Amino acid sequence: MPAIRNQIKELRALREMTQQELADRVGVTRQTVIAMEQDKYSPSLETAFKVAIVLGVPIEQCFQYAPRGKR
Amino acid sequence: MATGLSYREKSLYASLAAELIVYGPYFFLHRENSLNKVVGMIVGIIVLQVILQSVIAAVTRNRVTDERDRQIELRGYRAGYLMITSLMVIGLGLLWFHATAGNLHLDSRMVGLHFLSVFFGMLVIADITKTAAQIVSYRRGL
Repeated sequence: MPAIRNQIKELRALREMTQQELADRVGVTRQTVIAMEQDKYSPSLETAFKVAIVLGVPIEQCFQYAPRGKR
Repeated sequence: MATGLSYREKSLYASLAAELIVYGPYFFLHRENSLNKVVGMIVGIIVLQVILQSVIAAVTRNRVTDERDRQIELRGYRAGYLMITSLMVIGLGLLWFHATAGNLHLDSRMVGLHFLSVFFGMLVIADITKTAAQIVSYRRGL
């Protein structure tokens, strides 16, 4: 499990955006969006910034660092 | 084609299927080695891969790959590399053991083909390991 948590699913739902729409705008596959939402993949810094920009929030509102054992 | 699998995943499943279809019978059913079988296997895997990959490319609209695909690809290559180096060490160790024990008859006419088959087998196992590691990474996450 990656040490980076995210609120992509909740923020995307608030904006009524589909996984495919987010994927297209960020430039990744829908499967990568799914993996990020399920905490199975920590994106690169560049992709994390793109996700935050597309969702219209500061990056720290979208992604949080959660060291293992401190959740 | 609306499935939960990305283009890369479909491609990997097709590769694994092709490898098992072609290499499986060769290594488990054929006892005798021959150059024709090795050449036939190489031609067979190339033809089958071209057909399967063409079909997948034709039926998949979104063929985008991204950073996660590249990371998983690297993980697969690492697993394949570890497998082939392990097999080489084991293979050379066995060769040394049999040579010192006097069980190795290098004057045999078939020894060249036998070595070709063994080393080709190592490559095949490493390739299957690479593909399987990539599929597992897609399913379990990085």
